[in-house]
Amino acid sequence: MLNVTNIERFLLNEVAPDLGKHALDPDEDLLEQRVIDSLGILRLVSFLEQSHGIRVMDEEIIPENFQSLNSIGRFVEQKTAGK
Amino acid sequence: MDFEFSKEQLDFKKSAIQFARKELNTEVIERDRDAVFSRELWKKCADFGIQGSAFPEQYGGLNTDIFSTMLLMEGLGYGCKDSGLIFAINGQMWTVQMPILRFGTDDQKARYLPKLCSGELIGANGVTEPDSGSDAFSMRTSARLEGDHYILNGAKTFCTMAPDADVFMVFATVDKRKGFMGVTAFLVERDFPGFRVGRDIGKMGLRTAPMAELILEDCKVPAENRLGKEGNGAAIFEDTVEWERGCILAGLLGSMERQLEQCIKYSRERKQFGKAIGKYQSIANKIVDMKVRMETAKLLLYKVAWKKQADGKAPLEAALAKLFISESWISSCLDAVQIHGGYGYTTEYEVERDLRDSVGSTLYSGTSEIQRNIIARHLGL
Repeated sequence: MLNVTNIERFLLNEVAPDLGKHALDPDEDLLEQRVIDSLGILRLVSFLEQSHGIRVMDEEIIPENFQSLNSIGRFVEQKTAGK
Repeated sequence: MDFEFSKEQLDFKKSAIQFARKELNTEVIERDRDAVFSRELWKKCADFGIQGSAFPEQYGGLNTDIFSTMLLMEGLGYGCKDSGLIFAINGQMWTVQMPILRFGTDDQKARYLPKLCSGELIGANGVTEPDSGSDAFSMRTSARLEGDHYILNGAKTFCTMAPDADVFMVFATVDKRKGFMGVTAFLVERDFPGFRVGRDIGKMGLRTAPMAELILEDCKVPAENRLGKEGNGAAIFEDTVEWERGCILAGLLGSMERQLEQCIKYSRERKQFGKAIGKYQSIANKIVDMKVRMETAKLLLYKVAWKKQADGKAPLEAALAKLFISESWISSCLDAVQIHGGYGYTTEYEVERDLRDSVGSTLYSGTSEIQRNIIARHLGL
């Protein structure tokens, strides 16, 4: 399983600093908790593309891939394996 | 860096200008006054190839590249004085046709694209709601799956072309708890049970592109009319507005060029205190400012096209271009009225209509405030 620490740090420091959270549960629902919003997803996608050398397609921006840290990790892992 | 377009691309723009001047400028003052949409002109545009320009030949399109498409829109903006018509066509192309092409199934593409390209069908986009404008994804319109249909309930407002449209791209949430990732796109036909077009909405400008509300009351939409996956609606919408921002702005660029030439001509011919008003610095400076805005706008817009062609995405560049060009367009329209003096205030000189039409550009496809928010986020703020 991909280490998602850098993604967690990016979400907490860059995407949702206003929430004042210090950590995220790997299965915490990032959408329901509003950690990721419609502007934040653009920055997150850009970050994932640059940090993991992947290309995220618009049709892949769905809850299954971005609901939690674990789902983001699985998605990036699949994309990385498919490069 | 090469700023030259090919001869074919420039010829394409020229042919659009000739077409627009010959076919689209009849009774614009009257149609604007009466807020009348012309389906005849819509069809003429489709026959010329405008609606299908950026779409594959298999759907009746011309398969033009993004630069050629922008030049086509520039030519249209330059030659056609009916900004409402250009706005409505762009609305269909980028917020209905393009999402179908990019996210639709083969069946959806085959069912809708040929008829939208040919002008047989008119398409409209319904995203805004009475309580969710800039915060579009907080929408209340809901969709729930029941067997092989979705049931949609809610209301949309500010839907351009709604009174005349045949098919609507409607956004609804399948799960409100998921926020923007509950939003899902649907293709709703005008005669689907539970769907109706509400009251017409009068407006300040772009009056030849009518606008109305949409009402969805237990509207039954076949599951095969869902566009993309559940929760993919926000990404579809964002992709859509990038195209829309880029290409509607190209039309404005053409309008800016037409207006600039009109102001230069007027300033050379109109004499006050014994000399042409263009010889006075206060008038010349306004025209220079208009020129600077137009040339800067071109660079920003062509960068969007270049980035879209190279990377497929240009969210920051599209926001920068949208913000600058729309606000510049209003400034230049105000200058144009002032340069024309009392005549600029009259309907006959047609610069007052440009001003009324221009105001919408800082509102539609994301307000200036939203563009600034997007840019700020990209700057890490």
